[in-house]
Amino acid sequence: MEIPILSLMLLVSLVGALVTFFMGKNPKMAKMSALVFSAIPLALSLFMLTEYVQTAGGYQFEESFTWIESLGISYMLGVDGISVPMVFLSTLLVFLAVIFSWDIDHRTNQFMALLLVLELGVLGVFTALDYFLFYIFWEVVLIPMYFLISVWGGPRRAYSAIKFFIYTHIASLAMLLGIFALYFEAASINGSYSFSMIDINAVSPMFGQTFQVIVFGALFFGFAVKMPSFPFHTWLPDAHVEAPTAGSVLLAGLLLKMGSYGIIRIAFPALPDGASEWQWVMVILAILSIVYGAIMCLAQKDLKKMVAYSSISHMGIVMLGFATFTEIGIAAGVFQMFAHGLITAVLFMMCGVVQHKAGTRNIPRLGGLASKMPLGATFMMIGFMASLGLPGMVGFVAEFSVMTATFDAFGWLLLIPVTSIAFTAAYYIWAMQRTLFGPLTKEVDADHLHDVYWYEALPMAVLCGLIVLFGMFPALVMDYIRPALGTVLGLLGGI
Amino acid sequence: MDILEFAWLIPVLPLLAFVIVGFLGSKMKDKGGIVALAGVGGGMVLALWTAFELLTTGRIYRANQDWVVLSSEYTLEMGIYLDNVAAMMLIVVSLISFLVVVYSLGYMHDQGPRRHRYFTEICLFVGVMLGLVLANNFFQMFVFWELVGLCSYLLIGFWYERPAAARAAKKAFLVTRVGDVMFMVGLFILFTELRTFNYESVWGMLDSADPTMMAFAAFFLFGGAIGKSAQFPLHDWLPDAMEGPTTVSALIHAATMVNAGVYLVARSFPIIATSAEVSLFVGAIGGITAFVAATMALCAPKIKGVLAYSTVSQLGYMILGLGAGAFLWHHGHHVAASVAFGAGLFHLMNHAFFKGQLFLGAGAVIHFVHTEELAKMGGLGKYMKVSMITMLISCLSIAGIPPLSGFWSKDEVLAMTFEAGDAGLTFMVLWILGVLTAFMTAFYMFRMWFMVFKGQPNEGTKHATEHGGHKHEAPVSMLLPLVVLAALAFGSGFSLFIGDGFFGAIYYDHAHVLSIGERLTEVFTSPLTYISIVAAVSGIMLAYFSFNKTKVSAEKVVSKGFPKAMHQLLLDRYKFPVAYDKIGYVGVYGTSLLLDKFDRYVIDGIVNGISAFLIKSGGVVRKLQNGFVQSYATLLLIGVSFIMILLYVVGVLR
Repeated sequence: MEIPILSLMLLVSLVGALVTFFMGKNPKMAKMSALVFSAIPLALSLFMLTEYVQTAGGYQFEESFTWIESLGISYMLGVDGISVPMVFLSTLLVFLAVIFSWDIDHRTNQFMALLLVLELGVLGVFTALDYFLFYIFWEVVLIPMYFLISVWGGPRRAYSAIKFFIYTHIASLAMLLGIFALYFEAASINGSYSFSMIDINAVSPMFGQTFQVIVFGALFFGFAVKMPSFPFHTWLPDAHVEAPTAGSVLLAGLLLKMGSYGIIRIAFPALPDGASEWQWVMVILAILSIVYGAIMCLAQKDLKKMVAYSSISHMGIVMLGFATFTEIGIAAGVFQMFAHGLITAVLFMMCGVVQHKAGTRNIPRLGGLASKMPLGATFMMIGFMASLGLPGMVGFVAEFSVMTATFDAFGWLLLIPVTSIAFTAAYYIWAMQRTLFGPLTKEVDADHLHDVYWYEALPMAVLCGLIVLFGMFPALVMDYIRPALGTVLGLLGGI
Repeated sequence: MDILEFAWLIPVLPLLAFVIVGFLGSKMKDKGGIVALAGVGGGMVLALWTAFELLTTGRIYRANQDWVVLSSEYTLEMGIYLDNVAAMMLIVVSLISFLVVVYSLGYMHDQGPRRHRYFTEICLFVGVMLGLVLANNFFQMFVFWELVGLCSYLLIGFWYERPAAARAAKKAFLVTRVGDVMFMVGLFILFTELRTFNYESVWGMLDSADPTMMAFAAFFLFGGAIGKSAQFPLHDWLPDAMEGPTTVSALIHAATMVNAGVYLVARSFPIIATSAEVSLFVGAIGGITAFVAATMALCAPKIKGVLAYSTVSQLGYMILGLGAGAFLWHHGHHVAASVAFGAGLFHLMNHAFFKGQLFLGAGAVIHFVHTEELAKMGGLGKYMKVSMITMLISCLSIAGIPPLSGFWSKDEVLAMTFEAGDAGLTFMVLWILGVLTAFMTAFYMFRMWFMVFKGQPNEGTKHATEHGGHKHEAPVSMLLPLVVLAALAFGSGFSLFIGDGFFGAIYYDHAHVLSIGERLTEVFTSPLTYISIVAAVSGIMLAYFSFNKTKVSAEKVVSKGFPKAMHQLLLDRYKFPVAYDKIGYVGVYGTSLLLDKFDRYVIDGIVNGISAFLIKSGGVVRKLQNGFVQSYATLLLIGVSFIMILLYVVGVLR
């Protein structure tokens, strides 16, 4: 590779964050700067999509520089079919989040700069091929999200921000311990120290059984909190309820994916025997997350909290797919990560719109919005329909295939998670009935209700377009993902 | 040129219209009506041509394409499988869709800008419904199945600002969703057992498949049909679905979409036939549905209510026919099974025509009197000659009076049910239910007809005709579809005698080709035929005496005692809506509220408890809480440096 395209993305985000930050005097310039600096990584990732060779397998666009030689730390980046969709998703969502936040007038420069720092961290996580680098980026992500919630958040922002921070930080400590354990164990086999994922994963089948079980537990805890999986999920609804819309979009769209990405990128390949010992724990937690999350949604009165709980349910589908240890399940799980990222972004944007226009997200107080904001209502319906797994939209194939793989692997156990399909329809359809349909309620100031503004409509239109495009042509995404699964499947199959 | 090579265009044309109307329709003068007409019309021309080719040559057309590959053994495919059954469905769906669009041009005229959404959604519906018919595998059918469900949801809630419409839309979506989940489970079983969803591959592998699992697959697939075709006990959404525009009721909730369930049963017929139990179950659900729905139609107060229950009931007949067929096949009566299979689908076709006509006629009536209450109508025949006569034809047809279409198919369904009674006594009971249903059908249809067109004009009629109201019938665009459909309601049964006859074209494995004379002899020498006719005629007579001559006062009959309680129970739809609410609202929603408390106080309580404990027990944490998070970036740097130093030291020491 001539152009270090991945480093370029990281660099542009970083420079963009700095430039934007120093435009404090001029909010308009700050916004323009953020727009441009988030557009460049998006353009780069589109270029990457075209240049990436789908059938080749392995890592591409690799970059490797020794960083601290004595410790075996290197600056090593690369993407495969699992990370390519995530990189695209990251650059896309940050770009759209910048546009959607066009009306932020409080410390605009800082807000926009934080979005770009977030992009830096997320892109780093999805491209790092060195455990140490991975950890640093992982931690970098926490900072902007913490500030996004604590500065631009709702009334209980302090509580939510700290809860988010401490909870996920404890999780990343567990992960860090796991990484160190891998590092030393691999070194004792290899004879030389290296944080390289490729080096460590190459010897992973030689790790001892007990070691694998313990370390997998630590890593899994770290990632399960992030996804989040039942019962480690309670930070998520709190964080979402208080976070500003752009923060929620990126939190649900990207940060949660870091957890599932960690499982498939690190925990499985590094500790295949550990994974197989933990399989039933994963299956049970996944099923609980799916069904519990869906039922919880029904009880929510806050539209945004409902969407937050739906994320728990839908990320559970990712974990269930992974936990089948089959090609179908893992492929569909990765696809679901991508699908959920697109869908949930629309949903959180609509929550923001409703809050903004109607002054409340409280479902029982809303009603009849469709008559006042037909375009917004259309976006919301597309988002809800996609999220409940309607065919022709991006979530369907993933969800359907995970369920297929589940029946194939575990038989009638499927009857438990499959009920969530009905529950999911129930909470979305019911929420639509109460917010969009029926007569306008007196509690909403109808005079101030107007349809979505351009900067709200544009990102949602793009997302809805992609939801339908990838729903009608899922192969566009799957053809990246499937060839990349050989390695992890080989390791899992070697159990 | 082989027209079948262009079959893929059949759904694409309406879908193209959907896209055009969707994006540009609001700017058009007629809000997309003409584009919709062109798209659906184009689809119809192609569909009819294709059907003609298929039926005249007996060809089977196959096309297949990978849609998405998820693993070496799991590829989701999209394709086309066209046989005679699909050809019949194409005729029914495309023709009625086109007529409904024509009708809508007049009927929806007063809806202003809303027509944009209407025509958009109608085009989408027609496209995906035709896509469903074309499918070559169960998975693909499910994809389109869900999409027609979406359209149904959107169109029931067309007047979304009415709470009743919003509620009905929700109910339709959720109740059918229960069936959809079962359909999905059926698909998972098929894949796990057979590694394919393709119709022909599945049919071909049944002999070597695990019979228990195939029985489960059949059961769950049929669950999908129970939801979509509004079979007992998931039937209750359909009457509520009448909240949508009447054209939608005609197109989606009577003539096409609800038939998708029957079509699914036809496509999974070989799987169902592997199991005697499931066959019996299918037949029993059909028979019970036919009977139960007919009883509710007896006293329905609204014109569309009568038609909705009637639709449920007639769908029950179709399912009964197919169930009987599967049962007969399982017991080795292959010729009879084939006829029963054909009879169920024959009734599907005939029903689509006469019920489509009845709904559109009801639409014309409602358009005229601006009420749906039967009690407020009466005497409309004077003003609406075309509607009256065309609806009379359909009523006679559905009642089963020879030689109208409904007679031939209903008679055949009942005859085959009776035949299945030889192998299993349950079918004998179902046959009795079927005959009783035929009697009730004739009664409630003519109750409706007399209450609308005959007798004294009631307040609705008076209001419409006296106070400057219009005294003329609906515009031509509305009358034309009525007449065409009435002609079909009259004559579609004669397809028994065209060419090789209906059972020579639509059959399962054994064509039952008879000459006209043989067919007539077979029908009219059977005592069963006369039982059906007597049931129908006596139903009409009873309606005549009760609601035209008022010799028998229906009101008096139900004014006290057991009839009164029964009447109330029927008006309450056997308390089904209450039961649904109990399950949904009290059961599921109640559970969710409890879990919400659990989440907040137990799970989150533990989390907060742990952190509170830590904060209390160590001053360090409290100190950290204040400054720590704000200057976290610094700490991160320090931490990372510390770790690096540590590692460096470790490295050096080694």
